[in-house]
Amino acid sequence: MEINFQFIGLLLLPWISALLVGLFALKAKKYVATISISLSFIFTVLACYFIYSLSGQNLKIGYPWINMGHETYFASFWINSSAKLIALLVSIVSFLVQLFSKSYMEKEANLGRYYVYLHAFVGAMICLVFADQIYLFYGSWELVGALSYLLISFWHQKPEAIRAAKKAFLINRLADIALILGLVGLSSHFQTTYFSVMDPMALGIAPNIIGIAVFIGAMGKSAQFPFMSWLPDAMEGPTPASALIHAATMVAAGVFLGIRIFPFFGEPVHLFMAFIGTISLISAGILALFQNDIKKILAYSTISQLGLMWMGMGSDASMFHLWVHGIFKAGLFLSAGSIIHFVHHQNLNHMGGLRKQIPITCIAFFIFSAGMMGIPFTNGFYSKENIAGFLWTSAENSPFSTYYFMLLGALSVGMVLTSFYVSRLFYLIFLGDSREQNPRETPRNNGFQIVPIVVLAVLSLSVLVNLNPLHANESEFLRYFNLQSFHAPDVWLWITVSTWILGIILSYLTRHWIPKANVPFLSFFWPSMFQIIIFKSEMVRWIEVQVYDRFVNNLARVQVIIAHLIAWADRWIVDGILVGGASKASQLMGSSLSRWQSGKVQSYWILVFVTFGLFLLFTILQRG
Amino acid sequence: MIESVLSLLILIPLLGSIIIGFGVIKKYIRSLALVFSGIQISLLIYLLTKFDLHASSFQFQESKNWIHLSLGSLGQFTAKYSLGVDGLSLPLIALTSLITLVALWNSTEIKEKFNAYYGLVLLLNASLMGCFLAKDMFLFYVFFEFMLLPMYFLIGIWGGPNRNYASLKFFIYTLLGSLFILIIMLGMSIAYIDPYETALLTGAIQEGQSFTIEGLLTIQKSLAAQEIPMSAIVHSFDMQALSDVNNCMPTSLFSPNSGWLLSGLSGREWGFWLLFVGFAIKLPLVPLHTWLPDAHVEAPTPISVLLAGILLKIGAYGWLRMAIPFFPKEAINNAQILAGLGALSIIYGAYNALAMKDIKKLVAYSSISHMGFVLLGIAAFNVEGWQGAIFQLISHGILSALLFLMAGVLYSRTGNRDIDSYSGLATKMPVFTLISGIAIFASLGLPGFSGFIGEFFSLMGAFTSPLLIPIYSILGALGILLGAGYLLWTFQKVFLGTYYTLKDQWIMNDLNSTETMSLYALGLSSIILGIFPNILFSISENFVLKLLSNIL
Repeated sequence: MEINFQFIGLLLLPWISALLVGLFALKAKKYVATISISLSFIFTVLACYFIYSLSGQNLKIGYPWINMGHETYFASFWINSSAKLIALLVSIVSFLVQLFSKSYMEKEANLGRYYVYLHAFVGAMICLVFADQIYLFYGSWELVGALSYLLISFWHQKPEAIRAAKKAFLINRLADIALILGLVGLSSHFQTTYFSVMDPMALGIAPNIIGIAVFIGAMGKSAQFPFMSWLPDAMEGPTPASALIHAATMVAAGVFLGIRIFPFFGEPVHLFMAFIGTISLISAGILALFQNDIKKILAYSTISQLGLMWMGMGSDASMFHLWVHGIFKAGLFLSAGSIIHFVHHQNLNHMGGLRKQIPITCIAFFIFSAGMMGIPFTNGFYSKENIAGFLWTSAENSPFSTYYFMLLGALSVGMVLTSFYVSRLFYLIFLGDSREQNPRETPRNNGFQIVPIVVLAVLSLSVLVNLNPLHANESEFLRYFNLQSFHAPDVWLWITVSTWILGIILSYLTRHWIPKANVPFLSFFWPSMFQIIIFKSEMVRWIEVQVYDRFVNNLARVQVIIAHLIAWADRWIVDGILVGGASKASQLMGSSLSRWQSGKVQSYWILVFVTFGLFLLFTILQRG
Repeated sequence: MIESVLSLLILIPLLGSIIIGFGVIKKYIRSLALVFSGIQISLLIYLLTKFDLHASSFQFQESKNWIHLSLGSLGQFTAKYSLGVDGLSLPLIALTSLITLVALWNSTEIKEKFNAYYGLVLLLNASLMGCFLAKDMFLFYVFFEFMLLPMYFLIGIWGGPNRNYASLKFFIYTLLGSLFILIIMLGMSIAYIDPYETALLTGAIQEGQSFTIEGLLTIQKSLAAQEIPMSAIVHSFDMQALSDVNNCMPTSLFSPNSGWLLSGLSGREWGFWLLFVGFAIKLPLVPLHTWLPDAHVEAPTPISVLLAGILLKIGAYGWLRMAIPFFPKEAINNAQILAGLGALSIIYGAYNALAMKDIKKLVAYSSISHMGFVLLGIAAFNVEGWQGAIFQLISHGILSALLFLMAGVLYSRTGNRDIDSYSGLATKMPVFTLISGIAIFASLGLPGFSGFIGEFFSLMGAFTSPLLIPIYSILGALGILLGAGYLLWTFQKVFLGTYYTLKDQWIMNDLNSTETMSLYALGLSSIILGIFPNILFSISENFVLKLLSNIL
């Protein structure tokens, strides 16, 4: 009983906080940030306590919600280990982001609105994570999208921001149509609307077409190929918000959906998911190389890392990487925010040598980068090994083993790319000499910015999860959250090591040249081999921007053109010729009765009643 | 216990309209009108507390003899003044009184002929109430026709520059629709008997005696065997009698085995389609919709609110109350066509809205699109679809009122309704932006707001219905995407971006307290319905279940 109350409190607290912050913003503008951070802290503590007091058990809670004839839909929640882990991630990251925002958003006029959005976003996300009823899940899914729209367009005077927000929302909505059709299909296959009750043992796995429909929806939210173009644009929003929604939580919702429905589908659907993930992993990795904007690089790297999770096919390996990635990517975004705050721009070409000025951020950034590359002593090492191990063990007892080995090959290519762009990013920001063109006065070192970054850096280290730096299989953490660990053969370790070395060497050799402006210069020195890579990456980018973006754009444009055509037809044909013509025709034909067409309502009025009266008279006379 | 509360619901606004309309009182007219509307709402709250959610039949019934004609060999005709409320009409009368209150509240922009204006609005309210409460089709028709008169004058006198054209167009369209209804009403009352009255006349039962189901069957059997003499037959307009095909005289046009055909359609099919079209004009259904944008553009804001908020609902009410129960087989056989028309309305309305530059026109076309979901849900002929359709009626009533008030706020400040004339209002009008954001996100079907529930269940009903192929609901879902497109586009153009207005001298004040109150009330009710949809579902549930079990 008590645990139910705790849960309801957990579910409602962010919404109540949003309301409170909104009210406070009207009266006491000064203290909005403090109040909001305190509320967020209470929420985080409550979430941790709730998860702790469940002590590893699963819980199902349901309340009658909608009566539909003889069926009752329950607003039901399923608190299982994966949901708990994500809820923990959301609450911790959201608290740290709020803390960070205290100084980052200090000079913002509409602070109240910003914090309201953050709280509401967390509310929707928590509901999504725990939802058991599929329509409740879908509802919170849409809400998350809408709040992301609001956060991206937070600086609503910037045209790029509102354009990016609209793009994100509409692409998500497009994908959501497939999602809802898939979910309805899923519920009709399993004859239930609750995830926890769906039983693939009894009713068999769902048809592949349903799985693909559901995953198209997930692709939209996770910004996977071909829906990936909204995420880099979405970087127009405030950086801490990007850390929360576009790194740790919202984009991970797609992966989370994959985890929820993992047991309901067969291997073809899982392979479909993994191949989409592979395309995203590699193409986003290549695109990240050609960016100079620090946030854009992080956005592409998010797509790429999400692709990695998709390659885990929604198994426990994906789940673990989701947690690990949420922590280090939030850390990277916050560090990027801190750096932007420090240098007042986002251009990598004008950074460099920052290790001396912001050493703590530098060390934290190093840890996060190591996590992304998957270097031992960070959690990233375990999670990447887990994904490889999962693919390897699946390959051993599957009729599709060739595909699995193709995926493993692609994974190692992706890892080279990851090491490449991450070490390049690190190099350009922190190493070398400063390339700042108009240096400004250095702002004070700010505790509100440092603390969240340090906390995230500590959480990224592997000592908290496990003491053995090479294998995670004895981890208490994994056991607590009921995650299976997978073991990759030793040869994979050698492959991994060589990907780091290759990536770092490549980035050292090309560190300044890789930006797109330098391509002609580069091709002068690297005539053949390098040109192919550049050509390939250019092609992907071309496909992305020219074909896909333009396709969507033109699709939208075609809609507007159709809309105008239809509106024209409506005005001139339906209303003009049909309606107007009918009235003209009746005027001509009824010229003898033209006095009835006088346009006076009274006469029409009388006409009706006279007709009716005549009818009555007729019937009465008939009797006589 | 208040006696004849339903009559009071009609009489109070009527009384108000007479008192105000006579023009004796010159001051405080708006407040007086609000008082009458308030009394009506308190009566309604009383009704809500006494309403039995578990009963599936009409409640608070009232019945008085009204017109009785003896036509000799043709039998006898009777039309009764009979009222009743059930799960379909209760939400609609609640919506009617709520929207009337909102419209009266926001009528501050009316600057001339107060007495006539407020009198006519109350008169409109009375006739709308009558429409939703009437159990007798003749009584319904009288109220239905009568509704035209105040509406015509409200648009024609207080409307915009092109008001004469718009009001006449509205009038002719609706009159055409009501003529179809009239034809069917008269035809059906000739063809059908009222079993209870007939039993009284033939002496099968005595006055005051209860009319059992056996008695009904006996009467229907002797009717089928043509044993009742023509002069002893009582025809009535009672909707319940008309809903039972066994009450149909075997020789008549509307009998299922009459064998009468006109251009390939039987008498009953003609009956269904004429009734359907008659009400479809009111909804309005594409391609019978062109009166709506004109009427909305010319009407003053509160009248647009009434028009979109309540008047459109009568179309769907007519289908659920008359067209479908009277001709269930014909309706079910044509479910595919109905769903197709619904999907057409959704897409067509959405495309038109996408092309509009005038905010009011945009909202008018979005109404057409949203009402398409109602027909799509009805065509599903299952619980989800119908519950969704009824929910959508109420939800759209609230949201369209909100959207038209939004357009009214801009129009009252500048006299301009073009989307392109504004940009970045968020900086100057934060409260207005907040409430418009709520209205727009609620209309585009965001979960947590009422719009989502109605559209979602209509679509789900259509998707899972065995009568329909899934393509209609997929088209409907695309309509939602288009809806997101045009609504977001409007929101971004008008509210986001850098501040700009067409003319510099326009003063964009934020909402005053009058506007704020009504807008917040509507927004809040949309949120409450969106989170606790069962409030509405539990009211309409028994109506839906009973009607579905009767016709399927």
